[in-house]
Amino acid sequence: MEFLSALSPLFFLLIAFGVLVGIIFGSIPGMTATMAVAVCLPLTYALDLTNGLALLLGLYVGGITGGMVPAILLKIPGTPSSITTTFDGYPMAKNGEGERALKIGIVASLFGGVFSAILLFLFAPVLSDFAIKFSYVEKFLIIFLALTVIASLSGNMLMGIFSGILGVWLSLIGTYDISDGGNGEIRLMFDFMEPYLESGFSLLPVLIGLFGLGTVLIEAEKGVKKEISSQSLKMSGQAQFSMSVFKGKLTNLIRSSSIGTFVGMLPGVGGSAASVLAYTQEKNFSRDSSQMGKGAPQGIVASESSNNGLTGGALIPLLSLGIPGDSTTAILIGAFTLQGIQVGPLFIGDNLDTWYTMVFALLVANFVMFAIMFFAIKHIAKVVAVPKYILYPIIIMMCVVGAYAINYGIMFDVWTLFMFGIFGYVAHKVGIEIPPLIIGFILGGSAEIYFVKSLESYGDFMIFFTKSPIAMFLWGLIFMSIAFSIYLHIKGRRQQSSEAET
Amino acid sequence: MSMFEITIPFDQSHLFFPRIITWLLGGLFVLVLMKYARPIMSKYRSGGMTELLDLEEFHKFKFFGTIVLVALYFIMMDVVGSWFPNMGFGFLFVSMPFIFLMGMMYVHEITKATVTKIVIVSLVSPLLAWFVLARLFDITLP
Repeated sequence: MEFLSALSPLFFLLIAFGVLVGIIFGSIPGMTATMAVAVCLPLTYALDLTNGLALLLGLYVGGITGGMVPAILLKIPGTPSSITTTFDGYPMAKNGEGERALKIGIVASLFGGVFSAILLFLFAPVLSDFAIKFSYVEKFLIIFLALTVIASLSGNMLMGIFSGILGVWLSLIGTYDISDGGNGEIRLMFDFMEPYLESGFSLLPVLIGLFGLGTVLIEAEKGVKKEISSQSLKMSGQAQFSMSVFKGKLTNLIRSSSIGTFVGMLPGVGGSAASVLAYTQEKNFSRDSSQMGKGAPQGIVASESSNNGLTGGALIPLLSLGIPGDSTTAILIGAFTLQGIQVGPLFIGDNLDTWYTMVFALLVANFVMFAIMFFAIKHIAKVVAVPKYILYPIIIMMCVVGAYAINYGIMFDVWTLFMFGIFGYVAHKVGIEIPPLIIGFILGGSAEIYFVKSLESYGDFMIFFTKSPIAMFLWGLIFMSIAFSIYLHIKGRRQQSSEAET
Repeated sequence: MSMFEITIPFDQSHLFFPRIITWLLGGLFVLVLMKYARPIMSKYRSGGMTELLDLEEFHKFKFFGTIVLVALYFIMMDVVGSWFPNMGFGFLFVSMPFIFLMGMMYVHEITKATVTKIVIVSLVSPLLAWFVLARLFDITLP
């Protein structure tokens, strides 16, 4: 418990601030938890690691939870992961049970968040201990596995793979760094780009561009739709919430939180996969699912506990393997690097205090989220109607700060943000998937080093298969993930053709 | 010597992996083209670019306005910032008109109330961001 003595009141204040800002971002349709973390990054530049973590984790938890507010009140998911909350939340709100639906969601979120934080605490160290024994060969296979998982679970398999490889390609631009054992030569660019791209694209400006400016451009193209007037958000004289609604829903809570945590662990798989899976499982397994989709509390419970389960889940591979579970944790990698911390198998053992602080901050963030949401939900609901013409310019302004200050004042980083903002828009239009792209971008550099170093030291491609039992086990997983994706693909096609016949 | 053996000369090692990835990317691109070329062409023939890229509601003014405004914002920030090095004034003084113009471009009804709101926000938010980040936290701003 030594780490507790290092915590200051500022730590708790920053968590609360982060959660509040996160909720606001989550609540506004078109703004996500990822964006909240990206936009608030510059604030952490001046904080130390502990306090920076407090702010970032608060933003993460708040952002994921806030998504339920417009999902329930307006039938617009505030973040992708709250898509299934709309199924039952909105019908309840229409029946005058908006506040009750929100409070059910808040309690379910708390459960999911705490559940996943506990799993994180239990499993991340085990996984790290295991991963410490990995050599370059196994490390490369882990990354390869991560990329196959992304591809197999993305909406469109071919585009998913293409996007992931494109991300890897983008990450290779620049120098093959001597400090990583490379030869210091520049590749994949023309001569005139060398002064700017010597060390490649910086991760954070790329992410800020994709999620900040990219989103604003997508909205601008649609004409920046007018906000819904706050009139439709009135919540007075409604059905009261009581905890008795959770009677008999413990199985649902545990199942959905587990699904959320597990899906969170898979790299690059968006939050919507978790909540859709939890929702359909509740539909399959519950005794009475006839009301689901028409305003059944159990649907909200499944959706919200699973999407908050994501938070702890996505941190497991991040902290034990250095592989981000989703796009928000991808930004966290950047924030860690900024604080001089390398996440990976050695992280927990070498930074025990930081590790405890993180889990503690995650737990506190969940309870703060609960306190803020539960008692102030009526006021928070009004955020949904904050005009975009005020918000978007401010977001761009914050994006600039984030990109410019990251390497202490390099204007090219701001232009990187600009390029990737436009790229994000184009990608959205032509069907390139951003999450696999980002995971590929983050892992590409390490993949190269592990791959080339393995071959340099063993001189034989077969080493990837024969190095160790762990390597063979990883190949087993890789084949399983490919087989699973092919199975999903065929199943999807059959469903389509049978739907076409009927 | 088996067919799987390989030696990577150190002075060429920076090209080894990028080459594999470039070929892979090219191959995948060809696959994407093969799979989608026909649906794309038929969509293009039936409705042109609008149908193809889902641009029925394309707001030219707001979209290109945003790009131009953001580009100008970045350029001017650098220019003004170089007049007052290390003060963050480039950010402060260029953000104000930027937020005002972008707000005016996005707002749906220009009334006294909305314009007042935009003016206040465009003055206060850069000042606040500048004060907190550049003054309190000593973060480098243009």
